[in-house]
Amino acid sequence: MIILVYTLLGFLFVILQTTVFMVHPVWPAAPDLYFILVAYLAYRVDLLRGLVVLFPVSWAMDAFSGLMIGTYPLICFLAFVLLKIMDARVPVRESLYQVPLIGACYLVVSRLVYFFFSLFSPDALASWSWPLMLLRATLLVLLAWPLFRFLEFINKRLQGKLVPLAVLRVRTGNRYRSREDRP
Amino acid sequence: MRKRGAGNKQGNGHRTLRIVLLSAVLLTLTLIFLVSTLGGRKFGTVHKLVLELTGPAQSALSSVTEYVKYLQKDYIALVEVREENRRLWRELQECRETANRNREALAVNTRLRKLLAFRESANLPMQAARIIGKDPSLWFRTVIVDRGSNDGIVKGLPVVNGDGIVGQVYTVSPNYSKILLAISPSSAIDVLLQKSRVRGILKGTGTLSYKLEYVLKTVDVQEGDHVVTAGYGGFFPTGMPVGVVSKVIRKRRGMFLEIEVAPSVDFLTLEDLLIIEQQSGAPR
Repeated sequence: MIILVYTLLGFLFVILQTTVFMVHPVWPAAPDLYFILVAYLAYRVDLLRGLVVLFPVSWAMDAFSGLMIGTYPLICFLAFVLLKIMDARVPVRESLYQVPLIGACYLVVSRLVYFFFSLFSPDALASWSWPLMLLRATLLVLLAWPLFRFLEFINKRLQGKLVPLAVLRVRTGNRYRSREDRP
Repeated sequence: MRKRGAGNKQGNGHRTLRIVLLSAVLLTLTLIFLVSTLGGRKFGTVHKLVLELTGPAQSALSSVTEYVKYLQKDYIALVEVREENRRLWRELQECRETANRNREALAVNTRLRKLLAFRESANLPMQAARIIGKDPSLWFRTVIVDRGSNDGIVKGLPVVNGDGIVGQVYTVSPNYSKILLAISPSSAIDVLLQKSRVRGILKGTGTLSYKLEYVLKTVDVQEGDHVVTAGYGGFFPTGMPVGVVSKVIRKRRGMFLEIEVAPSVDFLTLEDLLIIEQQSGAPR
């Protein structure tokens, strides 16, 4: 059920991103909503289910955007793995620190993928623009918090543990993990 | 008993006397009043006294009544004004909505007329298409339209609007197609400088401008020169407007000029497009 709901939400994000948030074909300030889903899955869902959701969502992005097939699956899986590793390694499990990490991860993964594709077909890509990428990363960070809460709300509902919104802080009681908990 | 009976008799006598006296006084007063009013037919002292005494009260009461009437009138008027205000606001909102709809209809009408005029003047088989999605990526420039292989659309077909070349079909599904915009870095179109008839390759930059490549330094190119399609590839018809030269840079090194071209199409307001269908005999 979780897989189906998150996949549908992913499609909804992709559709919103390619219609409502794109005012015109060269609009720079469209937030990459799919990336927030990637980050949420990396932080909150296990590896297998996360990958199952990411497959169709990244394919949908590939269908709606870009010219090179595989661009978005590459971005999604790279970001998913990177965030999963960071989530496991970083000792602080606090959303306040997790959200900026999404922006940083977005920039790193985008730069890596851009570099990779520019090696094979340099003429097919528009030139890299740091101001525009920073704008996108900022939008992502700004939207990550409300979307995380929304996704967490959905998650709780799916698990039948609906609790008041005030309690829905995406954090554990203990901000620091004990040595035994660390992988 | 007898004593009590005698007392009662005496009490009744006193009461009768008192009634008779009171009646006499009242009768006298009435007579005086009648005589003073009817007899002299004058506005007597009593009248004046009464008038002076009751006048201020009457005046005050009259003022109060007038004030109440005035208030009532004002209140009713206020209620009516409020209702009228609401009605006028409703009407104003309706008028605004109608005006907005009319403006939108006018804009759509103008756009479609332009497309129709272009379609008729071009005299080519075309399919009208509507943009339903835009590429959010910063690296590529594509849009999705609501026409696909079921409508006879194939890869490579040129896409235009009333102002000129927009791009070409990149991928096709049964009902939808992805259009590679001419401003995309991977787009390359054979073009001509309209005045000098010199050929070049128009490439997208990812922004709202083109680069015109492979034009020799010996060619006289000036800002404002029109760029049109060359039609060599077979897909794009010859002479379709592409843009206007906006900047010419002559560098000391190299054989070619660096030319910037401003698109004739406004990519910020793209909505309805025309896909030029393949003419029989044209290469695929």
